[in-house]
Amino acid sequence: MPSFPARGNDRFMTDRNDQRGTWADRPVGKILLGSAFPALLVVAWWLGIRSGTAVIPSFSAVIGVLAHPLEIPPDLYSRSLAFSLMMTLIRLALGFGLGVATAVPLGFLAGKSRVVDRLFYPLVQIARPINPVVLLPLVTVLFGLSSLASVAFGPVDAWKYDVADQVQLAMVFILWWGAFFPVFLSTVHGVRSVRTSYLETMRLLGATDVQILRRVVLPHSLPEIAHGMRIAMGMCWLVLIAAEIFPGTRSGIGYMLCTACKTSDYQYTFAAMIVIGITGLLIDVAFARFERNAGHWQALER
Amino acid sequence: MPLEDLIPQLTDTAYSLKDVEKAFLSRGGTAVKALDGVTFEGPEGMITCIVGPTGSGKTTVLRIVSGLERADRGTATINGKDPATLVRKIGYLTQRHTLFPWMRVCENIALPLEVKGVPPEDARSQVAGICARLGLAGSGDLYPHELSGGMQQRAALGRLLASESWYWLMDEPFTALDERTRHQLQHLLIDLVRERKLSVLFVTHSIDEAVYLADRVVVLSAGPGRVAESFDNLLARPRNRLSQEYGQVMERIRTRIESVLGEEE
Repeated sequence: MPSFPARGNDRFMTDRNDQRGTWADRPVGKILLGSAFPALLVVAWWLGIRSGTAVIPSFSAVIGVLAHPLEIPPDLYSRSLAFSLMMTLIRLALGFGLGVATAVPLGFLAGKSRVVDRLFYPLVQIARPINPVVLLPLVTVLFGLSSLASVAFGPVDAWKYDVADQVQLAMVFILWWGAFFPVFLSTVHGVRSVRTSYLETMRLLGATDVQILRRVVLPHSLPEIAHGMRIAMGMCWLVLIAAEIFPGTRSGIGYMLCTACKTSDYQYTFAAMIVIGITGLLIDVAFARFERNAGHWQALER
Repeated sequence: MPLEDLIPQLTDTAYSLKDVEKAFLSRGGTAVKALDGVTFEGPEGMITCIVGPTGSGKTTVLRIVSGLERADRGTATINGKDPATLVRKIGYLTQRHTLFPWMRVCENIALPLEVKGVPPEDARSQVAGICARLGLAGSGDLYPHELSGGMQQRAALGRLLASESWYWLMDEPFTALDERTRHQLQHLLIDLVRERKLSVLFVTHSIDEAVYLADRVVVLSAGPGRVAESFDNLLARPRNRLSQEYGQVMERIRTRIESVLGEEE
């Protein structure tokens, strides 16, 4: 599985034992290279401030927002920055988690059984290219304002449960949609690409299907599943921010960004953008690490 | 050395193939014959080597004997039984992709015990014994790709030992190794066969390997495979590669292979 950022030297990694790498692999080099383009963005930002337009907030105003994440914005109909981020992450965890929890078992079934595969294939290929954001208007109408709280405690009392009431089912659904397909397809492919000789070895040892699944199929396909999860997470992050901008939300980092724009409090918009970017980066770093750990044994296969 | 070690007693039959035919479909949809009526027997407690030129269907023979594939016609039995019914009695070893790369060496060796449901404590002590026997002590916690090729095949032999299978089907397991390591492992295999009363069906394209290991040699013709010759190799053990008799058996096989290749042209 290709890993990004890449490791090793620049010559298409012909020497896989070269762990020393170049200056680009050392911490200082990584930080310098990784911050080059963000630094350019800051320069562009600075140029924007210099131009005198009202849309671009000053550095100090944005840093002021970022430095006090628990403060409730005075002129803005929004919760604090930290609460907004927390709401976003709760929705993400739930929708993405449900997506993975359904896609992996179904993927195993479809990878193993031709019947299940032929049952799912047309549906999956029709549904997969539909951008979940496109579904949002329809899904919002279908689910209305129902949330975790309204399902659990009834629509009348739902408002009493602040956090749970803001986890809207419409959002969870489109996150599920965004996560399901990449994880499902990578699981199916991972299961299919298990080396036949490994399966034969297990058969000759008299292993049961469960033992084969646990000891061979799962570890063999895990790197690919992890890769699918990483793609799915990127998708979900995009979709969720877009969904939070959509009417019907009262919280979330995307909501904050959008609301601040409407009232011209651009320092909040910028702060939200920075938080979105950095959180997205951290999430991807975590998933990249998971992917690498899952595939540690693949050195032998190369 | 006792007499029976010097003169192999080729008594009971472990492997028996009768008129085995097998064809594969090519991409174009035409059937390509791989085996064309293969008939031979492999004695119990001995090593039977199958030699033959490339494309003679050596691997196909093994796969049919293992029960992983079915013959189109004819029968292949182990000890008179259908191989598919002999779960856990058959050990299969190939040149590559034998160990599971995501498991440590000791986990790999313990796998047959795990599958059987042996308690982890017992399994651990058995694995330790096997590692010591095979010269793997100290490598148990490594991953397969951290071992040399020779050590990897030792570990694979360890897994066969742990499985307590009696019928070992080996498909060029030592071909990719350097000569010294190959000779060590050949020697080890002969010892294991004597200790455990194993019946081995060993595929190789190396005439030297066949002469060194085999109690019986089966020479396959160029594809589609037929048995060109089958004979008992009665050279005394330990075999001396430099002796005149050894050279004569090598020459016999070489001439046979040359002649079957000549027929094709």
